[in-house]
Amino acid sequence: MSEQAKLASGDQASAQPALRDRLLSAAYRHNAPFLLVLVFCAVAVVGGFVIRDLQAANAEAETMYAGSVHGLQRIGELQYDAQETRRATLYALTTSDSNLQVEYADQSRNADQRVKDAIVEYTRQAKRPAENALATRLSQDWGNYLTIRDEVLASILEGSNKEAVSRDLSGGVPSFELVRKDLDEVKALYDDDASQRLANVVATSHRSALRLIGILGFTFLLSSAAVWAIQRSRMLNAIQLAKLQMEFVASVSHELRTPLAVLSSAADNIADGLVEGKAELRKYGGVLQNQSRRMSGLVDEILLFASTEDGKNRYVLQPLAVSRIIESVVASSEALTQGEGFVIVQQVDSALPPVMGDLSGISQCLQNLIGNAVKYSGDSRWIGIRASAGPAEHAPGQEVRISVADRGIGIDRSEIEQIFDPFYRSPRINAAQIHGTGLGLALAKRIAEAMGGKLSVVSELSVGSTFTLHLRIAKGEDLQTATGSRSASSSIS
Amino acid sequence: MMPMRRLTAFAALLALAMGLRADVRATPGADFGPTPEQAALLEPLAIVVNRSNPVNGLTSSELHKIFLGDRSHWTPDRRITLVMREPGEAERKTILRDVCGMTEDQFKTHFLHGLFTGEILVSPKILASPTGARKFIYNVPGAIGYLRVSDVDDTVKVLRIDELLPNDRSYKLRVDARQVGK
Repeated sequence: MSEQAKLASGDQASAQPALRDRLLSAAYRHNAPFLLVLVFCAVAVVGGFVIRDLQAANAEAETMYAGSVHGLQRIGELQYDAQETRRATLYALTTSDSNLQVEYADQSRNADQRVKDAIVEYTRQAKRPAENALATRLSQDWGNYLTIRDEVLASILEGSNKEAVSRDLSGGVPSFELVRKDLDEVKALYDDDASQRLANVVATSHRSALRLIGILGFTFLLSSAAVWAIQRSRMLNAIQLAKLQMEFVASVSHELRTPLAVLSSAADNIADGLVEGKAELRKYGGVLQNQSRRMSGLVDEILLFASTEDGKNRYVLQPLAVSRIIESVVASSEALTQGEGFVIVQQVDSALPPVMGDLSGISQCLQNLIGNAVKYSGDSRWIGIRASAGPAEHAPGQEVRISVADRGIGIDRSEIEQIFDPFYRSPRINAAQIHGTGLGLALAKRIAEAMGGKLSVVSELSVGSTFTLHLRIAKGEDLQTATGSRSASSSIS
Repeated sequence: MMPMRRLTAFAALLALAMGLRADVRATPGADFGPTPEQAALLEPLAIVVNRSNPVNGLTSSELHKIFLGDRSHWTPDRRITLVMREPGEAERKTILRDVCGMTEDQFKTHFLHGLFTGEILVSPKILASPTGARKFIYNVPGAIGYLRVSDVDDTVKVLRIDELLPNDRSYKLRVDARQVGK
């Protein structure tokens, strides 16, 4: 039972897989490269994500490393310079030489200037409230210590060492202790900050890893789905091909059996002496002739299709006059239409340019289309043949179109894409017991494409179908070549 | 006899002349400004103190007392620390001559005596270079010293002496610009 029949019978459950299979089949026929491109794009996107994540993680780690090194260096220098300020002050106590004392005082002041600069820098970079408060407190405590340090230095330089020691013990030591605690707090805050930054890097790393796993998983699933779809569609296609071939064998058998049965029956009647008289014998001869021609035509069609399977171009293209093509085809098709009451209406535009093609190929193609029209025109018995020129649809320039139209049963829209498949027979046609091999349109399409042309169809169910052969117009160089060989073959009449 | 008598008289006159010249130059507060030719060869010697010192000027007499240790405090709670250059420096010679009115030996003797008797509490701080002296004065609130004008910067404060600043024409403390070291 066909898909349409299933749908018509309301069998939704069985229609779904059929629809899926059709989609897969269509994907294989037309979009397998697209699926591969999709997978490639997915891999490229994954690569982009991975690279971006790695770059972000590296940049963060680099920033953290640079920040840590710089921060530790700053804190180390700050602590050293604070100690140096006090150490140089105390060194001045160890000598009575005013010149050395002045030198130590100078060292102390230089170190204290570096501490001040470092505190200003720390204040400038402080972001959290705790850091701001600490920076303010450190600045105040350092200022308090420096006030006492100046007094101690003055006492030392004046020569009042006892007074200097006393002032240092009473004020210098406690105030410097406050500074030391502040610096410890600066370091603790920095450690907290570094821990936070480390946690951020770790979190980023985890996020990156999870994202990477997710993306890889997604890509794996997508790739698997694509591979599955391709494999599945290939399998379906193989099944469909086998089915079509079986149908073809059955159809060919049927097509051969009918004339064979007639031939056999006629031969039996003649052999048994049942045919008497000249008129009877002539009648039987005609039957034998017709049936043998029918069989011959069928075998020729199969052989011709088989010969196109290897994809080799066996046609010799040359400029052909369209009117001559039409005449040749109509004459060749008379056997099909004669006696059946068909009306063939020709409409050939005047002054059509010659086309490039092989006369036998074009004739075969158009005969197939006319044969198709004869088969499916139903009761209308009308066939229209039209030739015209117009802009090419898929190439620059002009083309000539030869259309074969009928007012028959038409083609369902869902079948349009399949009718050119070899061995394809519409279930509707099979049900209507219209005989055929399913090769006619496939053969016509191959012939058209082998000559650099195209075959297209426009159809509406119960209205009719129009098949159009698009042919390339012979250009100047084609005509010159043809003129050179005209003596051998006069193709343009 | 005649040459010997003449030689002795010449020596006596020379000694008298030198003594008179020394007396004239050593007289503190002598009101003789340098001639333009001398001014070209002499550089003003600034009296400088710590910038926190509220004192802006001194008289020659006050300066004399300070440099001889006779005045030991600016205020009751702020001791004066005297900064001197090493013996032999041109600046020191100028101060000894024009402010203290003493020779090097007299100055040393004066301080030894003062410290021994307790009349002077602290001996002057001796600095080897003008930079050292300037830095010392910068570090010690009660310090006072002297620097050539070319050695002065804004870390110290220049005092008016008898209402005159070193760049004033009548400023008396000047050192030979050609004498740099000992």
